[in-house]
Amino acid sequence: MPVAPAAFLDPALLAKISDLALLARTVVDGFMHGQHRSLRKGSSLDFAEHRSYQPGDDLRRIDWRVYGRTDRFYIKEYDADTNAGVLFALDTSGSMDYGSGSVTKFVYGRMLAASLAWLSQSQGDRVGLATFTQDLEEVIPPSVRHLQRILHTLAATTPRGPSRLVHSIERVGLLSTRSGIIVLITDCYERPDALGRAVDALRMHGNDVIVFHLVDAAERDLPGDADTTFEDMESGALLPLKPDDLRSKYQTLIRAHHEALQSRLTAAGADYVRLLTNEPLDRALHAYLDARLTRGRVR
Amino acid sequence: MGLGFLVPAFLAGLAALVVPILLHLRHRDRDRPMRFPSLMFLEQLPIRTESRQRITDWPLLLLRLLALALLVFAFARPVLKDRRVVGADNRTKAVVILLDRSLSMGYAGVWPRALDSARAVIDRLDGKDRVALVAYDDAAEVMQRLTEDRAAVRGVLGAVQPMRRGTRLAPALRSARQLLLDAPFAAAEVIVISDLQRASAAGIAGVEFPAGVQVRGIGVGSDTWVNSAVRSLDARRVREGDRTLLAVKARVQSHALPAIRPVTASLSVNGRDATTATATLARDGETVITFTPVPAPDGAVSVRVAIPADSLVADDTLVAVVPRDDLLRVALVTPPDMSASETLYLQQALGIGRAPQVQVERLTAVPATAAALARTGVVMFWDMAPDAPAALTSWVNDGGGIVLATGRRLAARRTALPSYAGITFSGLADRVSDRGGTLRDVRAEHALFAPFREAQDALTAVRAWRYPRGDASPSADILARFDDGVPAVLEQRIGNGRAMTLTVPLDNQYGDFPLQPAYLPFVRQLVLHTSGRDAAPLWLTTGESWSLPATLSNPVVTGPTGALTRPQADSAGAAVPLPDAGLYTAYAERASGEPGAVLAVNVPPSESELTPMDTTELLLGVRTTSAESAAASRADGDTPMTVEEMERRQNPWRVLLIVAALLLLAETILGTRGRRGMARRVVPNTTSNVASNTASTRSAGAPASTASRARFDT
Repeated sequence: MPVAPAAFLDPALLAKISDLALLARTVVDGFMHGQHRSLRKGSSLDFAEHRSYQPGDDLRRIDWRVYGRTDRFYIKEYDADTNAGVLFALDTSGSMDYGSGSVTKFVYGRMLAASLAWLSQSQGDRVGLATFTQDLEEVIPPSVRHLQRILHTLAATTPRGPSRLVHSIERVGLLSTRSGIIVLITDCYERPDALGRAVDALRMHGNDVIVFHLVDAAERDLPGDADTTFEDMESGALLPLKPDDLRSKYQTLIRAHHEALQSRLTAAGADYVRLLTNEPLDRALHAYLDARLTRGRVR
Repeated sequence: MGLGFLVPAFLAGLAALVVPILLHLRHRDRDRPMRFPSLMFLEQLPIRTESRQRITDWPLLLLRLLALALLVFAFARPVLKDRRVVGADNRTKAVVILLDRSLSMGYAGVWPRALDSARAVIDRLDGKDRVALVAYDDAAEVMQRLTEDRAAVRGVLGAVQPMRRGTRLAPALRSARQLLLDAPFAAAEVIVISDLQRASAAGIAGVEFPAGVQVRGIGVGSDTWVNSAVRSLDARRVREGDRTLLAVKARVQSHALPAIRPVTASLSVNGRDATTATATLARDGETVITFTPVPAPDGAVSVRVAIPADSLVADDTLVAVVPRDDLLRVALVTPPDMSASETLYLQQALGIGRAPQVQVERLTAVPATAAALARTGVVMFWDMAPDAPAALTSWVNDGGGIVLATGRRLAARRTALPSYAGITFSGLADRVSDRGGTLRDVRAEHALFAPFREAQDALTAVRAWRYPRGDASPSADILARFDDGVPAVLEQRIGNGRAMTLTVPLDNQYGDFPLQPAYLPFVRQLVLHTSGRDAAPLWLTTGESWSLPATLSNPVVTGPTGALTRPQADSAGAAVPLPDAGLYTAYAERASGEPGAVLAVNVPPSESELTPMDTTELLLGVRTTSAESAAASRADGDTPMTVEEMERRQNPWRVLLIVAALLLLAETILGTRGRRGMARRVVPNTTSNVASNTASTRSAGAPASTASRARFDT
């Protein structure tokens, strides 16, 4: 009995695949099979323009003729190369290690980043990765050949420590000198206003921003019974509570937070996608592709 | 077995059990904190803490409760009560009959009433009630232990007869208590069947019965009693020419005679009727009956005085033993140059007193012949110490006595004293400047000081200005010293006789002894003791014991009933108990048939005092163990254990404390293990963080954790 393609997008099943490359290919192939179309058709090798050499660019792509005339390094770009530079920014703080089910937010985010990177690579985009907690931890500049590095880095990263989300986003903005797509994968434990201002800054540099807000179901509903002591996974702080009595109030706060995030980030021009970690990944992939198609090429 | 508490007030401490329960109810489950991504929103919740209404750690709570309860119980001093003591057993009723069989129960009509009362008590017993019978006089005898066999008790009852003895109720009550202690009972009754003489109640206040025991008395004495009793006897030898006569006076005590009563009293000597005397007894009071002197036999004489029998027969006769010679001859040997005034005090002091009468014969030399010495009881050397002639030495060995009394001449003597002195003089103690020497270290238990046992200060008031210093020989027994340690009175046993030496002056030249009240009794006791004729009573009473003369080797004693007794001598000599009234005769083992000593024993005079006491006095006198009276512990080892004594023997509080300590140790281990587990999971200063976060959150309404604040401030 053939396995339904959507089954490959089940986070619980995907989490059992330890090879991120296999996982990403499985997800994307399954997803594409369900889409019945390929964005590769849009790819082109027509000359588009010259641009200045940036560190990390392939030296073989330097237009030596232009160098001979101008004594400067220019890269000759074609339409296919200008699709996008996609930088995946993954929150690896301690709070991402939470998961009430078999999949933690970090695992889900890692699968998401790997899949999107694979998809982007398949579309000819340059892909890069930045992981952050209080500051940037690992940085891989966007490149058409950095996918394996990205997958390797994702596989080797473990979530830990506190986070400074706004500061990290600001540092991510400084990484790209060219506008591109910044995919932010985080649990968004930050005030919406502050997060919106950080996204505003990214947008002002011409970046398209997609924010994947990862939420665990228990995190949304508040776990615990009559008396539970909660321990902050980042700071270790303890807080005794009676969740049964406070659940509705908590859920109100969470909903307000989510709504505020959506409102503020949308207002900032970002695509805000809230994902439950028990949901299939195709929603994230759809959201990503929708954003790519809607906005077209990014300059 | 039942459980009681010595200090039940401590049980109020059980209220403290609420504390650990409340603590557990309020306890937060910090052992297993739930890891959560962020407290960002939780800290904004309005209600942060509430009391836990549910106990999760039952083992720990139970440990704490148990430990606390054990501590409380330990302080309350629990005691396991023996139901035999407290009488909380579901057994049948026990009845102990105490039947008085003393002399007074022989009063006309009393004894049959007593037997009838005892039988009536037995007949009224219910089916399985048990009954015991204790007969008592001055001692108690268990005739029948607790039994359901009434016929056996009746049989024993028929064998009990009144005795010629005194009455003491306390031993009988103790016997009853012991019977009850030996057999469990649900309820018990001690019934005293007696004429309830008031004098018999002495000591019953010290008897304590277990709770549940009722004590009641059945008085069987006459409502009005009439009695005459020979209370005392005065018998002494008198000299009439060459004859020695025996003069006897009897004192008869009468009570409630219907009229004056002429009686003819009879006097028997050594078991033979000697004479009679007629007298008229007063209705109430004492009447003296004087008998015509009769010839006195040699040796000890037993005398019996009897008046006509009345309702109480046993006290109508009194026996006495008059010592072998009523005259004690003292040969006072003085220096030739001594004036009569120097011996005046001594001679006058010796001349006072009778039974025996002391006859002083002043000499200037020791009687040299055995015949002269044979008539002498004591040879007293006054202020001189001649060598002892062979006749004197032999006489002392046979039982004679020598007194060497120091005067100014003897004190100044430097030459050695004869060996019978037991001392060697080394000088003269001059105590004129420090108000004189006084007597110390007086051995009050010695027979010489018997007259002063109740007033020892009388001797210590004596002062001596000058007296000879000396060193006592090892064979001498120092009976008293001066306050500077110099021996004052010494005694030596020489054969069967004894020699006394006094360095304390008996005249008023070197001391004030003759002017002190102690002088007369001391001088008299001195010669009596030295002669071996210490003042002995003419009779003893039943219940006392007879100290046999030391001269009797391996004595055999016959009592009034004819029973033979071989008393075993110990360090204090041989003593014979005197259970019956009458004559006791002691024989030496190798005697030729002559009695070594004779003793008269009479019932206590109190037996003639038939005034009854109210039965309520009996109830008031005897105590029963109760919550109130249990607190009063008594030192009598024969009494039932009080609650305090039981608790002291059991010491259950020690066990409770040990168990509580072990429980607390286990609680500590359990509690620490939980905290260790938590400490591994929680970073340091977590609690303070929470506290500060809570405070800041409440005040500002903003997230307070470090991580959350960093996010917001960025």
